Amino acid sequence: MNVVHLHLLLNHIPTVGFGIGVALFVGALVAKSRDVKRAALSILFLTGAVTILAYVTGSDAKAAVASTPDGSTAQIDAHETAALVAFAFMQATAFFTWLGLWAWRRLGDLAGWNRATILILAVVTFGLMARAANLGGELRHPEIRGVLDSVASAADGVPGERLTAARSWGKYVEEHSWVWPTCEILHFVGLCLLFGAALVVDLRILGVAKQLPLAAVYQLLPLGLLGFTLNLVTGMAFFVATPQQYTGFLFLLKMGLVALAAINVLYFMLADGAWTVAEGDHMPIGARLAAVSAILIWVGVLFCGRMLPALGNSF
Amino acid sequence: MHLLLRIEQSGICQWIRSTDSIFGYYGILTVHAIGMGIAVGINACVNLRILGFAPALPLAPMEKFLSLLWLGFWMNAVSGTILLATDATHKLVNPDFYVKMLFIALALANLQLLKAHVFRDPQIDTKPLSTKARVLAVTSLACWLGAIIAGRLLAYQAAM
Repeated sequence: MNVVHLHLLLNHIPTVGFGIGVALFVGALVAKSRDVKRAALSILFLTGAVTILAYVTGSDAKAAVASTPDGSTAQIDAHETAALVAFAFMQATAFFTWLGLWAWRRLGDLAGWNRATILILAVVTFGLMARAANLGGELRHPEIRGVLDSVASAADGVPGERLTAARSWGKYVEEHSWVWPTCEILHFVGLCLLFGAALVVDLRILGVAKQLPLAAVYQLLPLGLLGFTLNLVTGMAFFVATPQQYTGFLFLLKMGLVALAAINVLYFMLADGAWTVAEGDHMPIGARLAAVSAILIWVGVLFCGRMLPALGNSF
Repeated sequence: MHLLLRIEQSGICQWIRSTDSIFGYYGILTVHAIGMGIAVGINACVNLRILGFAPALPLAPMEKFLSLLWLGFWMNAVSGTILLATDATHKLVNPDFYVKMLFIALALANLQLLKAHVFRDPQIDTKPLSTKARVLAVTSLACWLGAIIAGRLLAYQAAM
Protein backbone atom coordinates (compact mmCIF):
# COMPACT_ATOMS: atom_id res chain seq x y z
CA MET A 1 0.00 0.00 0.00
CA ASN A 2 1.34 3.43 -0.85
CA VAL A 3 0.23 6.99 -0.17
CA VAL A 4 -2.08 6.96 -3.20
CA HIS A 5 -4.01 4.03 -1.73
CA LEU A 6 -4.23 5.96 1.51
CA HIS A 7 -5.71 8.95 -0.32
CA LEU A 8 -8.27 6.74 -2.09
CA LEU A 9 -9.20 5.14 1.23
CA LEU A 10 -9.35 8.31 3.32
CA ASN A 11 -11.08 10.54 0.77
CA HIS A 12 -14.41 8.79 1.46
CA ILE A 13 -14.43 9.92 5.07
CA PRO A 14 -14.86 13.70 4.47
CA THR A 15 -18.02 12.99 2.46
CA VAL A 16 -19.50 9.81 3.96
CA GLY A 17 -18.42 10.44 7.57
CA PHE A 18 -19.32 14.10 7.41
CA GLY A 19 -22.65 13.30 5.74
CA ILE A 20 -23.54 10.97 8.62
CA GLY A 21 -22.49 13.69 11.08
CA VAL A 22 -24.63 16.36 9.37
CA ALA A 23 -27.64 14.03 9.14
CA LEU A 24 -27.33 13.11 12.82
CA PHE A 25 -26.94 16.77 13.78
CA VAL A 26 -30.04 17.86 11.88
CA GLY A 27 -31.92 14.84 13.23
CA ALA A 28 -30.88 15.70 16.78
CA LEU A 29 -32.06 19.31 16.36
CA VAL A 30 -35.42 18.11 15.07
CA ALA A 31 -35.83 15.40 17.72
CA LYS A 32 -34.33 17.67 20.41
CA SER A 33 -32.00 14.91 21.57
CA ARG A 34 -28.96 16.20 23.47
CA ASP A 35 -27.14 12.85 23.37
CA VAL A 36 -27.47 12.51 19.60
CA LYS A 37 -26.40 16.14 19.20
CA ARG A 38 -23.23 15.49 21.20
CA ALA A 39 -22.52 12.35 19.18
CA ALA A 40 -23.03 14.30 15.93
CA LEU A 41 -20.60 17.01 17.12
CA SER A 42 -18.03 14.30 17.88
CA ILE A 43 -18.38 12.80 14.40
CA LEU A 44 -18.09 16.22 12.72
CA PHE A 45 -14.98 17.02 14.79
CA LEU A 46 -13.23 13.70 14.08
CA THR A 47 -14.09 13.94 10.38
CA GLY A 48 -12.33 17.32 10.37
CA ALA A 49 -9.20 15.71 11.85
CA VAL A 50 -9.13 12.83 9.34
CA THR A 51 -9.71 15.31 6.49
CA ILE A 52 -6.25 16.76 7.21
CA LEU A 53 -4.77 13.36 6.31
CA ALA A 54 -7.06 13.01 3.31
CA TYR A 55 -5.97 16.42 2.00
CA VAL A 56 -2.22 16.03 2.44
CA THR A 57 -2.15 12.57 0.82
CA GLY A 58 -3.69 14.20 -2.28
CA SER A 59 -0.33 15.61 -3.34
CA ASP A 60 1.14 12.13 -4.01
CA ALA A 61 -2.09 10.99 -5.67
CA LYS A 62 -1.92 14.03 -7.96
CA ALA A 63 1.61 13.13 -9.03
CA ALA A 64 0.54 9.53 -9.67
CA VAL A 65 -2.52 10.45 -11.77
CA ALA A 66 -0.66 13.15 -13.69
CA SER A 67 1.91 10.56 -14.79
CA THR A 68 -0.73 8.26 -16.34
CA PRO A 69 -1.46 8.66 -20.09
CA ASP A 70 -5.00 10.01 -19.63
CA GLY A 71 -4.18 12.18 -16.62
CA SER A 72 -5.41 15.71 -17.29
CA THR A 73 -3.67 18.44 -15.34
CA ALA A 74 -6.60 20.82 -15.73
CA GLN A 75 -8.96 18.22 -14.30
CA ILE A 76 -6.71 17.39 -11.35
CA ASP A 77 -6.30 21.12 -10.69
CA ALA A 78 -10.09 21.53 -10.63
CA HIS A 79 -10.35 18.75 -8.04
CA GLU A 80 -7.48 20.19 -5.97
CA THR A 81 -8.98 23.69 -5.84
CA ALA A 82 -12.42 22.36 -4.92
CA ALA A 83 -10.83 20.20 -2.22
CA LEU A 84 -8.87 23.15 -0.77
CA VAL A 85 -11.99 25.30 -0.43
CA ALA A 86 -13.96 22.40 1.08
CA PHE A 87 -11.04 21.68 3.44
CA ALA A 88 -11.03 25.26 4.75
CA PHE A 89 -14.78 25.13 5.48
CA MET A 90 -14.43 21.68 7.05
CA GLN A 91 -11.75 22.96 9.45
CA ALA A 92 -13.86 26.01 10.33
CA THR A 93 -16.73 23.61 11.14
CA ALA A 94 -14.41 21.43 13.25
CA PHE A 95 -13.22 24.55 15.14
CA PHE A 96 -16.77 25.45 16.19
CA THR A 97 -17.68 21.85 17.04
CA TRP A 98 -14.61 21.77 19.31
CA LEU A 99 -15.85 24.91 21.08
CA GLY A 100 -19.29 23.34 21.43
CA LEU A 101 -17.95 20.07 22.82
CA TRP A 102 -15.68 21.95 25.22
CA ALA A 103 -18.42 24.25 26.54
CA TRP A 104 -20.82 21.28 26.88
CA ARG A 105 -19.31 20.42 30.29
CA ARG A 106 -20.47 23.81 31.63
CA LEU A 107 -23.65 24.37 29.62
CA GLY A 108 -24.92 20.79 29.29
CA ASP A 109 -25.99 21.69 25.75
CA LEU A 110 -24.93 23.64 22.69
CA ALA A 111 -25.21 27.45 22.86
CA GLY A 112 -27.67 28.94 20.35
CA TRP A 113 -25.09 30.98 18.41
CA ASN A 114 -22.81 27.97 18.18
CA ARG A 115 -25.63 25.68 17.00
CA ALA A 116 -26.47 28.11 14.18
CA THR A 117 -22.81 28.57 13.19
CA ILE A 118 -22.17 24.82 13.07
CA LEU A 119 -25.38 24.13 11.14
CA ILE A 120 -24.62 26.72 8.44
CA LEU A 121 -20.93 25.79 8.14
CA ALA A 122 -21.68 22.06 8.10
CA VAL A 123 -24.29 22.30 5.33
CA VAL A 124 -22.03 24.53 3.20
CA THR A 125 -19.04 22.24 3.87
CA PHE A 126 -21.05 19.17 2.86
CA GLY A 127 -22.00 20.76 -0.45
CA LEU A 128 -18.42 21.88 -1.15
CA MET A 129 -17.01 18.50 -0.12
CA ALA A 130 -19.49 16.62 -2.30
CA ARG A 131 -18.39 18.76 -5.25
CA ALA A 132 -14.69 18.11 -4.52
CA ALA A 133 -15.39 14.39 -4.17
CA ASN A 134 -17.37 14.33 -7.42
CA LEU A 135 -14.54 16.07 -9.31
CA GLY A 136 -12.08 13.63 -7.74
CA GLY A 137 -14.20 10.61 -8.63
CA GLU A 138 -14.59 11.76 -12.22
CA LEU A 139 -10.79 11.76 -12.56
CA ARG A 140 -10.76 7.97 -12.62
CA HIS A 141 -14.33 7.31 -13.72
CA PRO A 142 -14.79 8.70 -17.25
CA GLU A 143 -18.24 7.06 -17.40
CA ILE A 144 -19.62 9.68 -14.96
CA ARG A 145 -17.62 12.61 -16.28
CA GLY A 146 -19.69 15.72 -16.83
CA VAL A 147 -18.97 18.51 -14.40
CA LEU A 148 -15.23 17.93 -14.65
CA ASP A 149 -15.13 18.34 -18.41
CA SER A 150 -16.94 21.64 -18.30
CA VAL A 151 -14.77 22.96 -15.45
CA ALA A 152 -11.57 21.79 -17.13
CA SER A 153 -12.49 23.10 -20.58
CA ALA A 154 -13.48 26.45 -19.07
CA ALA A 155 -10.04 26.57 -17.47
CA ASP A 156 -8.38 25.52 -20.74
CA GLY A 157 -10.10 28.35 -22.55
CA VAL A 158 -8.42 31.02 -20.41
CA PRO A 159 -5.56 32.58 -22.35
CA GLY A 160 -2.10 32.84 -20.81
CA GLU A 161 -0.79 31.02 -17.77
CA ARG A 162 -3.59 29.74 -15.54
CA LEU A 163 -2.80 29.28 -11.89
CA THR A 164 -4.81 27.37 -9.34
CA ALA A 165 -5.46 29.00 -5.97
CA ALA A 166 -2.76 26.77 -4.46
CA ARG A 167 -0.21 27.62 -7.16
CA SER A 168 -0.84 31.37 -6.85
CA TRP A 169 -0.18 31.09 -3.13
CA GLY A 170 2.98 29.07 -3.84
CA LYS A 171 4.12 31.75 -6.26
CA TYR A 172 3.35 34.51 -3.75
CA VAL A 173 5.46 32.74 -1.08
CA GLU A 174 8.28 32.28 -3.59
CA GLU A 175 8.28 35.96 -4.55
CA HIS A 176 7.94 37.37 -1.03
CA SER A 177 10.78 36.16 1.15
CA TRP A 178 9.20 37.41 4.40
CA VAL A 179 6.17 35.07 4.18
CA TRP A 180 7.87 31.76 4.97
CA PRO A 181 9.88 32.95 8.04
CA THR A 182 6.80 34.77 9.38
CA CYS A 183 4.70 31.62 9.13
CA GLU A 184 7.53 29.65 10.78
CA ILE A 185 7.63 32.11 13.69
CA LEU A 186 3.85 31.85 14.14
CA HIS A 187 4.12 28.04 13.86
CA PHE A 188 6.61 28.04 16.77
CA VAL A 189 4.43 30.40 18.82
CA GLY A 190 1.45 28.08 18.24
CA LEU A 191 3.62 25.12 19.22
CA CYS A 192 4.44 26.77 22.56
CA LEU A 193 0.79 27.61 23.35
CA LEU A 194 -0.41 24.12 22.45
CA PHE A 195 2.41 22.23 24.15
CA GLY A 196 2.33 24.43 27.28
CA ALA A 197 -1.43 24.03 27.77
CA ALA A 198 -1.19 20.26 27.11
CA LEU A 199 1.65 19.89 29.64
CA VAL A 200 -0.16 21.73 32.44
CA VAL A 201 -3.46 19.87 31.86
CA ASP A 202 -1.94 16.41 31.43
CA LEU A 203 0.59 16.72 34.27
CA ARG A 204 -2.18 17.91 36.61
CA ILE A 205 -4.18 14.79 35.70
CA LEU A 206 -1.05 12.74 36.43
CA GLY A 207 -0.82 14.25 39.92
CA VAL A 208 1.39 17.37 39.62
CA ALA A 209 0.16 20.47 41.53
CA LYS A 210 -2.84 18.73 43.10
CA GLN A 211 -4.03 22.00 44.63
CA LEU A 212 -5.16 23.08 41.16
CA PRO A 213 -8.91 22.31 40.86
CA LEU A 214 -9.54 20.05 37.85
CA ALA A 215 -12.54 22.08 36.69
CA ALA A 216 -10.29 25.17 36.52
CA VAL A 217 -7.56 23.29 34.64
CA TYR A 218 -10.21 22.38 32.02
CA GLN A 219 -10.37 26.13 31.22
CA LEU A 220 -6.83 25.92 29.82
CA LEU A 221 -7.89 23.64 26.91
CA PRO A 222 -8.95 26.56 24.62
CA LEU A 223 -5.35 27.83 24.85
CA GLY A 224 -4.38 24.54 23.22
CA LEU A 225 -7.05 25.05 20.55
CA LEU A 226 -5.69 28.54 19.88
CA GLY A 227 -2.17 27.13 19.42
CA PHE A 228 -3.46 24.31 17.24
CA THR A 229 -5.48 26.66 15.02
CA LEU A 230 -2.44 28.90 14.55
CA ASN A 231 -0.40 25.85 13.54
CA LEU A 232 -3.05 24.38 11.27
CA VAL A 233 -3.29 27.67 9.35
CA THR A 234 0.49 28.23 9.13
CA GLY A 235 1.12 24.51 8.49
CA MET A 236 -1.35 24.57 5.59
CA ALA A 237 0.36 27.74 4.32
CA PHE A 238 3.58 25.69 4.08
CA PHE A 239 1.90 22.65 2.56
CA VAL A 240 -0.18 24.48 -0.03
CA ALA A 241 2.84 26.56 -1.12
CA THR A 242 5.22 23.61 -1.54
CA PRO A 243 3.31 20.29 -1.41
CA GLN A 244 6.19 18.46 -3.12
CA GLN A 245 8.24 18.87 0.07
CA TYR A 246 5.77 17.04 2.28
CA THR A 247 5.58 13.53 0.97
CA GLY A 248 7.70 11.26 3.17
CA PHE A 249 6.70 8.77 5.84
CA LEU A 250 7.68 11.17 8.62
CA PHE A 251 5.23 13.83 7.45
CA LEU A 252 2.41 11.31 7.18
CA LEU A 253 3.29 10.07 10.66
CA LYS A 254 3.08 13.66 11.93
CA MET A 255 -0.38 14.11 10.38
CA GLY A 256 -1.45 10.69 11.70
CA LEU A 257 -0.38 11.72 15.20
CA VAL A 258 -2.38 14.95 14.86
CA ALA A 259 -5.47 12.84 14.03
CA LEU A 260 -4.75 10.69 17.11
CA ALA A 261 -4.46 13.86 19.20
CA ALA A 262 -7.98 14.77 18.05
CA ILE A 263 -9.30 11.45 19.43
CA ASN A 264 -7.35 12.12 22.62
CA VAL A 265 -8.78 15.59 23.22
CA LEU A 266 -12.26 14.31 22.34
CA TYR A 267 -11.91 11.74 25.15
CA PHE A 268 -11.10 14.53 27.60
CA MET A 269 -14.12 16.54 26.49
CA LEU A 270 -16.60 13.64 26.48
CA ALA A 271 -15.48 11.51 29.44
CA ASP A 272 -16.21 12.84 32.92
CA GLY A 273 -13.55 10.65 34.60
CA ALA A 274 -10.72 13.17 34.81
CA TRP A 275 -12.85 16.15 35.85
CA THR A 276 -15.06 14.75 38.61
CA VAL A 277 -12.43 13.15 40.86
CA ALA A 278 -13.05 14.17 44.48
CA GLU A 279 -10.11 15.47 46.51
CA GLY A 280 -8.07 12.56 47.83
CA ASP A 281 -9.60 10.08 45.37
CA HIS A 282 -7.54 8.29 42.74
CA MET A 283 -7.53 9.53 39.16
CA PRO A 284 -9.12 6.81 36.96
CA ILE A 285 -6.64 4.76 34.96
CA GLY A 286 -8.29 5.76 31.65
CA ALA A 287 -7.67 9.44 32.33
CA ARG A 288 -4.06 8.73 33.32
CA LEU A 289 -3.45 6.75 30.13
CA ALA A 290 -5.05 9.51 28.04
CA ALA A 291 -2.82 12.12 29.74
CA VAL A 292 0.35 10.10 29.15
CA SER A 293 -0.59 9.43 25.52
CA ALA A 294 -1.37 13.12 24.95
CA ILE A 295 2.14 14.10 26.06
CA LEU A 296 3.69 11.31 23.95
CA ILE A 297 1.61 12.26 20.89
CA TRP A 298 2.63 15.92 21.03
CA VAL A 299 6.29 15.10 21.65
CA GLY A 300 5.97 12.77 18.62
CA VAL A 301 4.45 15.58 16.52
CA LEU A 302 7.30 17.90 17.52
CA PHE A 303 9.87 15.20 16.77
CA CYS A 304 8.43 14.45 13.32
CA GLY A 305 8.12 18.14 12.49
CA ARG A 306 11.64 19.01 13.54
CA MET A 307 13.15 15.95 11.85
CA LEU A 308 11.39 16.67 8.52
CA PRO A 309 14.43 18.40 6.99
CA ALA A 310 16.72 15.56 8.09
CA LEU A 311 14.71 12.47 7.19
CA GLY A 312 12.34 13.94 4.63
CA ASN A 313 13.06 16.37 1.83
CA SER A 314 11.58 19.60 3.19
CA PHE A 315 13.20 22.63 4.72
CA MET B 1 38.24 33.33 14.92
CA HIS B 2 40.92 30.65 14.97
CA LEU B 3 39.50 29.21 18.21
CA LEU B 4 35.93 29.23 16.85
CA LEU B 5 37.06 27.39 13.74
CA ARG B 6 38.83 24.80 15.88
CA ILE B 7 35.67 24.23 17.95
CA GLU B 8 33.56 24.00 14.81
CA GLN B 9 35.99 21.59 13.13
CA SER B 10 36.43 19.37 16.21
CA GLY B 11 35.63 15.68 15.73
CA ILE B 12 32.46 15.76 17.80
CA CYS B 13 31.04 18.80 15.96
CA GLN B 14 31.84 17.26 12.58
CA TRP B 15 30.10 14.06 13.66
CA ILE B 16 27.01 15.98 14.85
CA ARG B 17 26.75 17.77 11.51
CA SER B 18 27.26 14.72 9.32
CA THR B 19 25.68 11.77 11.13
CA ASP B 20 22.30 10.32 10.22
CA SER B 21 21.80 9.20 13.83
CA ILE B 22 18.92 10.78 15.73
CA PHE B 23 21.55 12.07 18.20
CA GLY B 24 22.91 14.26 15.41
CA TYR B 25 22.07 17.83 14.41
CA TYR B 26 18.33 17.48 13.89
CA GLY B 27 17.92 15.31 16.98
CA ILE B 28 19.49 18.10 19.04
CA LEU B 29 17.26 20.63 17.25
CA THR B 30 14.28 18.50 18.29
CA VAL B 31 15.37 18.61 21.93
CA HIS B 32 15.74 22.39 21.52
CA ALA B 33 12.16 22.66 20.18
CA ILE B 34 10.73 20.51 23.00
CA GLY B 35 12.64 22.54 25.60
CA MET B 36 11.21 25.70 24.06
CA GLY B 37 7.71 24.23 24.16
CA ILE B 38 8.12 23.46 27.87
CA ALA B 39 9.72 26.76 28.94
CA VAL B 40 7.77 29.20 26.77
CA GLY B 41 4.55 27.18 26.94
CA ILE B 42 4.41 27.14 30.73
CA ASN B 43 5.42 30.78 30.80
CA ALA B 44 2.56 31.58 28.42
CA CYS B 45 0.06 29.70 30.63
CA VAL B 46 1.14 31.66 33.74
CA ASN B 47 1.30 35.01 31.92
CA LEU B 48 -2.07 34.61 30.20
CA ARG B 49 -3.62 33.54 33.53
CA ILE B 50 -2.34 36.77 35.10
CA LEU B 51 -3.87 38.69 32.18
CA GLY B 52 -7.30 37.17 32.89
CA PHE B 53 -7.43 33.94 30.86
CA ALA B 54 -8.92 30.93 32.76
CA PRO B 55 -9.86 33.12 35.76
CA ALA B 56 -10.96 30.17 37.94
CA LEU B 57 -7.42 28.77 37.94
CA PRO B 58 -5.63 29.62 41.21
CA LEU B 59 -2.14 31.02 40.57
CA ALA B 60 -0.32 29.86 43.72
CA PRO B 61 -0.22 26.12 42.79
CA MET B 62 1.01 27.07 39.30
CA GLU B 63 4.38 27.77 40.93
CA LYS B 64 4.98 23.98 40.88
CA PHE B 65 5.21 24.22 37.10
CA LEU B 66 7.95 26.84 37.29
CA SER B 67 10.50 24.12 38.16
CA LEU B 68 9.43 22.31 35.00
CA LEU B 69 9.96 25.57 33.14
CA TRP B 70 13.57 25.50 34.37
CA LEU B 71 13.92 21.92 33.10
CA GLY B 72 12.95 23.22 29.65
CA PHE B 73 15.40 26.09 30.05
CA TRP B 74 18.33 23.79 30.90
CA MET B 75 17.44 21.39 28.06
CA ASN B 76 17.80 24.38 25.78
CA ALA B 77 20.92 25.79 27.39
CA VAL B 78 22.69 22.45 26.79
CA SER B 79 21.25 21.70 23.33
CA GLY B 80 21.73 25.36 22.32
CA THR B 81 25.39 25.32 23.33
CA ILE B 82 26.00 22.20 21.22
CA LEU B 83 24.18 23.75 18.23
CA LEU B 84 26.25 26.90 18.68
CA ALA B 85 29.52 24.91 18.73
CA THR B 86 28.67 23.21 15.43
CA ASP B 87 28.33 26.58 13.68
CA ALA B 88 30.41 28.85 15.93
CA THR B 89 32.13 30.85 13.17
CA HIS B 90 28.77 32.02 11.78
CA LYS B 91 26.56 32.29 14.86
CA LEU B 92 29.02 34.13 17.11
CA VAL B 93 29.59 36.90 14.58
CA ASN B 94 25.87 37.26 13.86
CA PRO B 95 24.28 40.17 15.80
CA ASP B 96 20.96 38.31 15.71
CA PHE B 97 22.44 35.65 18.00
CA TYR B 98 23.18 38.29 20.66
CA VAL B 99 19.68 39.75 20.25
CA LYS B 100 18.30 36.30 21.03
CA MET B 101 20.55 35.94 24.11
CA LEU B 102 19.50 39.41 25.30
CA PHE B 103 15.80 38.51 25.00
CA ILE B 104 16.36 35.29 26.96
CA ALA B 105 18.32 37.13 29.68
CA LEU B 106 15.52 39.71 29.93
CA ALA B 107 12.88 36.96 30.02
CA LEU B 108 14.68 35.20 32.90
CA ALA B 109 15.07 38.46 34.83
CA ASN B 110 11.38 39.10 34.20
CA LEU B 111 10.56 35.65 35.59
CA GLN B 112 12.45 36.44 38.81
CA LEU B 113 10.54 39.73 39.19
CA LEU B 114 7.26 37.92 38.58
CA LYS B 115 8.16 35.32 41.21
CA ALA B 116 9.06 37.99 43.76
CA HIS B 117 6.09 40.21 43.01
CA VAL B 118 3.30 37.70 42.30
CA PHE B 119 4.17 34.29 43.72
CA ARG B 120 5.67 35.61 46.99
CA ASP B 121 2.45 37.48 47.71
CA PRO B 122 0.45 35.51 50.31
CA GLN B 123 -2.80 37.11 49.03
CA ILE B 124 -2.08 36.14 45.44
CA ASP B 125 -5.43 34.38 44.90
CA THR B 126 -7.64 36.43 47.21
CA LYS B 127 -7.19 39.97 45.95
CA PRO B 128 -7.14 41.28 42.36
CA LEU B 129 -3.75 41.22 40.61
CA SER B 130 -1.85 44.50 40.55
CA THR B 131 -1.11 46.51 37.43
CA LYS B 132 2.57 45.70 37.99
CA ALA B 133 1.80 41.97 37.77
CA ARG B 134 -0.06 42.53 34.48
CA VAL B 135 2.76 44.63 33.06
CA LEU B 136 5.28 41.91 34.00
CA ALA B 137 3.08 39.30 32.28
CA VAL B 138 2.99 41.36 29.08
CA THR B 139 6.76 42.02 29.10
CA SER B 140 7.40 38.33 29.75
CA LEU B 141 5.33 37.32 26.71
CA ALA B 142 7.08 40.00 24.65
CA CYS B 143 10.57 38.80 25.67
CA TRP B 144 9.85 35.16 24.79
CA LEU B 145 8.24 36.20 21.51
CA GLY B 146 11.38 38.24 20.78
CA ALA B 147 13.58 35.23 21.57
CA ILE B 148 11.50 32.99 19.24
CA ILE B 149 11.64 35.54 16.39
CA ALA B 150 15.40 36.06 16.77
CA GLY B 151 15.92 32.29 17.05
CA ARG B 152 13.89 31.48 13.95
CA LEU B 153 15.64 34.17 11.92
CA LEU B 154 19.00 32.74 13.00
CA ALA B 155 18.14 29.61 11.01
CA TYR B 156 17.76 31.62 7.81
CA GLN B 157 20.99 33.54 8.27
CA ALA B 158 23.15 30.47 9.03
CA ALA B 159 23.68 29.71 5.37
CA MET B 160 24.83 33.23 4.52
